[in-house]
Amino acid sequence: MSEKGRIKKGLFTVFFMFLVTFVFISILSLLHVLTRERIKLNESLVLKRAVLSAADLAVPEAPGEVESLYSDRVREIKDEKGNISYFEILDPESSERAGYVLIGRGPGLWGEIVAMIGTERDLGTITGIEFTKQNETPGLGARIAEKWFKEQFRGKRTPFSTVPEGEPADETEFQAITGASTTSAAVMKIMNVSVDKAKRELREGG
Amino acid sequence: MKLYKVKQVLSDDLGANNPVFVQVLGICSTLAVTNVLANTVVMCAGLIFTTSLSSFTVSALRKWIPSRIRMMVETLVIASYVIIVDIVLQALLPDISRQLGPYVGLIITNCIIMGRAEAFALSNTSGLSLVDGLASGLGYSYVLLIIAFFRELLGSGSIWGIRVLGDWWTNWSIMVMAPGAFFMLAAFIWIVKGPLQRTKP
Repeated sequence: MSEKGRIKKGLFTVFFMFLVTFVFISILSLLHVLTRERIKLNESLVLKRAVLSAADLAVPEAPGEVESLYSDRVREIKDEKGNISYFEILDPESSERAGYVLIGRGPGLWGEIVAMIGTERDLGTITGIEFTKQNETPGLGARIAEKWFKEQFRGKRTPFSTVPEGEPADETEFQAITGASTTSAAVMKIMNVSVDKAKRELREGG
Repeated sequence: MKLYKVKQVLSDDLGANNPVFVQVLGICSTLAVTNVLANTVVMCAGLIFTTSLSSFTVSALRKWIPSRIRMMVETLVIASYVIIVDIVLQALLPDISRQLGPYVGLIITNCIIMGRAEAFALSNTSGLSLVDGLASGLGYSYVLLIIAFFRELLGSGSIWGIRVLGDWWTNWSIMVMAPGAFFMLAAFIWIVKGPLQRTKP
């Protein structure tokens, strides 16, 4: 092939790759723009449902009702950067603080676990827990998202310890998941650490 | 598109040249997503969508793709379809999307898709490539579903999250973890390939 032919071929290769990339990226960008609002809404609904459930409030099915219950009963407390640091649960009549929902974070087996931890006003008794992020092993560690596991925390007190088999005897014990001891221990640590931290930080100001 | 070719492609991808138990491709996802049936179904749907459409697209472009950059183009096409699957799941089925987490993105790395684009789509018409992608996806899916069925049954005592085995059943935790998938896959290949190979002269 002549020198000229090679240059022509090379230019076509570059042009072709550029064109194909441009077309596909345009399609993806369009799809992204079209679904962005909806995905954002889905994510905020997931968070709101989790907060309400952690506060032991009955979570309604319809998105609109979730929004209105959330705006009535939950106050978001933000830090200087504008990120939510915790939630206050308001009493329906007096609109006074009736409890907290803390954001607990910590490493699980495969990735970060983020949990909404609801407590009563004294930061002692747990009103509920809900996981908003977890990538634990499906069928093993991921069972922390199952109802029986989350429900067992309601009404119990930190610091927690785990029991491997059978019914927990004490109000500070919870049943670990068989075959997922790392995940169970991670959940225990997240709960104990976040409630401890909240006790130190929130009680100072009353 | 000739009918006997379609038949040939179907019987190849579903049986004699099955991507999972003959070519032993796509094993990473076979190990990762087959411990709970519901996740497997979504993964398979995503894979069928991606293989068929990427094979179709690569085949439609095959006359223009310069051969030295063909793999870049293939990867671009595949990645685009996977991102479409991911975005659609996030928008329409947020719960399943959250459960699958990073697995959807990992469809990109599934060797079956690239394999079909390289081995078939580049040298066949786009219609036949679509059928081939579809058949490869189905060939992958039914193997995964069978494996997932037994793994969830033995590992969690349930099917589709519903408990079917009574309290007498002790869950085999190993079935839920990756080694369980190796055992199941090996058993599957042993059972299926035995008769298949025996019929050959």
